[in-house]
Amino acid sequence: MIELIGNLSLAAAVLVAAATVIASIGAAALGPVAGAPWLRGSRWLVASLAVFVTVAAAMLLTALMTHDFRFTYVAAYTERALPVGFTFAALWAGQEGSLLLWAWLLSMLCLMATMGWRRLVGTEVAVAHAVLAVVCGFFAVILLFAANPFQMFDGPPPLDGRGLNPQLQDLAMIIHPPLLFTGYAGFTMPFAMLVGVLIAGPRDNRWLSHIRRWILFSWMFLGAGIVMGAWWAYIELGWGGYWAWDPVENASLLPWLTSTALLHSIVVQQHRGMFRIWNASLVALTFLLCLFGTYITRSGVIDSVHAFAASLLGVFFLVFLLLMTALAVGLIVWRRRKLAPDRPLEALVSREGAFLAGNVLLTIMMLVTLVGTIFPLLGQLVGHEGVTVKAPFYNRVVAPMAILLVGLMAVGPVLAFGVQAARKIAVNLRIPAAAVVVVTGGTLLLLTGNVWALLCVAIVTLGTSSVLLDFVKSFSARRRSTGEGVLAATVNLIDTNHRRYGGQLAHLGVMMIVIGVAGSSLFSRETLHRVVPGQTFEVDGYRGTFLGLTDIRGSNYSAVQASVELTDSSGDTRVATPEVRFYDTWPEQPNTEVALRSTWLEDTYVTLAGWEGGGRNAAIQVRVNPLVLWIWIGGIVMVAGGLFCLLPRQLLWPRAVTATALRRSPAVDRPVEPVVSTSVANSEITA
Amino acid sequence: MTHTRVKLLGAGLVIAAATTILAVAGMREGWVYFLPVDQFMASGQHQMQRVRLHGTVGEERFEASRADLNAKFDLKGKTSSIRVEYTGVIPEMFQAGHDVVVEGQCDEAGVFHADTLLTKCASKYESADGQAPHANPYAAESAE
Repeated sequence: MIELIGNLSLAAAVLVAAATVIASIGAAALGPVAGAPWLRGSRWLVASLAVFVTVAAAMLLTALMTHDFRFTYVAAYTERALPVGFTFAALWAGQEGSLLLWAWLLSMLCLMATMGWRRLVGTEVAVAHAVLAVVCGFFAVILLFAANPFQMFDGPPPLDGRGLNPQLQDLAMIIHPPLLFTGYAGFTMPFAMLVGVLIAGPRDNRWLSHIRRWILFSWMFLGAGIVMGAWWAYIELGWGGYWAWDPVENASLLPWLTSTALLHSIVVQQHRGMFRIWNASLVALTFLLCLFGTYITRSGVIDSVHAFAASLLGVFFLVFLLLMTALAVGLIVWRRRKLAPDRPLEALVSREGAFLAGNVLLTIMMLVTLVGTIFPLLGQLVGHEGVTVKAPFYNRVVAPMAILLVGLMAVGPVLAFGVQAARKIAVNLRIPAAAVVVVTGGTLLLLTGNVWALLCVAIVTLGTSSVLLDFVKSFSARRRSTGEGVLAATVNLIDTNHRRYGGQLAHLGVMMIVIGVAGSSLFSRETLHRVVPGQTFEVDGYRGTFLGLTDIRGSNYSAVQASVELTDSSGDTRVATPEVRFYDTWPEQPNTEVALRSTWLEDTYVTLAGWEGGGRNAAIQVRVNPLVLWIWIGGIVMVAGGLFCLLPRQLLWPRAVTATALRRSPAVDRPVEPVVSTSVANSEITA
Repeated sequence: MTHTRVKLLGAGLVIAAATTILAVAGMREGWVYFLPVDQFMASGQHQMQRVRLHGTVGEERFEASRADLNAKFDLKGKTSSIRVEYTGVIPEMFQAGHDVVVEGQCDEAGVFHADTLLTKCASKYESADGQAPHANPYAAESAE
């Protein structure tokens, strides 16, 4: 029954997607008035598409939760002893399920998008509906024909399942994939609207305001997913790192880099009418890179530690990717004249110049990552079979670019649009420059002479101090003009411009990540100790004593646990208990549990590397990784910044609006889509 | 061409040159061949350089000590094999019969000295269809 309902809903989804395309094309062909019922119809069809995909997902979930081992998927990824949370998360543990999750998220987001665009009429939105339906339909087709989650055993079903891979039995497994897939799926909305606008013929920049939130939303989820994945790798894989430039990691980074560039360059288009072709290309590229990443990681063309089994799926994705690329490139080339900028770039040292530079840097980072990822394929083409590049290739290029980017974060906010910007910048950067001299000098004298470290310290100090200074200036100006208290002034100032301060917050988050990455990659120390029980060893700053091994038992695993007493220089003692776990259904794949303690300054990361003779001797690995915690904090701050940008223009407007109206300078901060918010605000004032 | 355009072009050229230099330098450092054992043994060109090899760990002549942090084994391809000596932490999934990736260099005697040993789970997300679970490699050694 379950498989019947599941497969039927997927089939229904395909048909409904086709119907949506027809209805949307009808709406586009008949024009805004006569086509209105058709457009409404296509919206309802998208809604029913979401219902059908939801039913399919619910069916797989039912099979999982009821341990229905007639399904190969259920038997492959769960077992009766698996904790409930992981049984639920098994929905996205395998190829088929994770694609179903993607399809479900996509259909829900499409529903949200069509509802958000319900006031729009005309060809743009009709075509956008059609594109959304095509992408949803594509996923429904591959779920039916290339990766069917409702496959059943031919013979008698097994009594119990194989269980979830031990490495996936982690809290992050429950959160990380949905975050990432939400990001991937979300980038379909801007792409759909772009295709609609290009087919209709771009008239103004208003369409950007219909997709800005979608870009921001997807960017936030993708960024959160990437940081979460890094954290997962750090605590789960036991090699002491969080980023390995693995193809799957790279695949998620590529669209994140282009969407980050896009978030900045659409601001320039909204304010200055420039970068139109560039923005259109970035919208398309971000969507295509999401597909591309999935293609290279699920088709088996590139070796990865995340390897999914190679399958027909690759062909489906490749064909779809090529079709979508041809569509995007064709449309942009066709409409290139209508995408011409309103004005030329007047000055390099200006806010638009800084945005351009940031875009260039992010694009280079993306290209380098892309080249590195497909290097084995490129090597094959020129006859160097089997050649790959490793981390140094990426680090060499990406690290300097990242440092330059932080430099732009420092100057960007103090730069104005247009030609007058250059004169003011020197004045605005005086105090940050002084801070750089003091902090970098202090670091040099007290901590390290490492050039890279000093460079990072200098640039992050410049960035942080100019962000803070910018805030303090506006803050004191506001207090002078309104006479508000400290708290009220802070809240209202931020509330007057969520986009500006959200952006600044996201920049602070990135700078924290830069500090964390620099600290941990430049100053990580790793030692390995072969010890017998009772033996003491020295790690810089710590004295360790190996107490011995014990056997312990968990719900679906047994484990060997080492006890290591660590005493730091201040005499503070604690016992670290790294484990190696043997899951009952995966005895051949023991799993390391790291004993980790994080502080603001450094992590101590202890693993049990091996043992012999029933614990008579053992190998204990101790890593001291400075500043890693800042990467995770920075990730949270970055996402929080994105969230701020997503907020409606003003939350506490009654007071804030009057104050803003008094002090808002023209041009720079003026929103492009103020129609709704100001009219609401005005009515509030008159009321 | 306007003044700004000239500057823009100049800046573009500088960035392109810098990126190329960095990328080429990075490539020299990060470039490594990743070959199956058979291909490595058959072609002479990679014999003395640092490479990554993948193959299967041979059952015979297999020595590994997790506490002493070294392993000696034959890395087998379909037609040939090479003796590998590895020093470092032994991954948990390392055992005879499994697929591994080693990185290092060959010496004159034909022994491959590896400093990196990665176990390659044929498919991390896909379960091994119909395969009987392997015996617990640690069973005999587990602490009491």
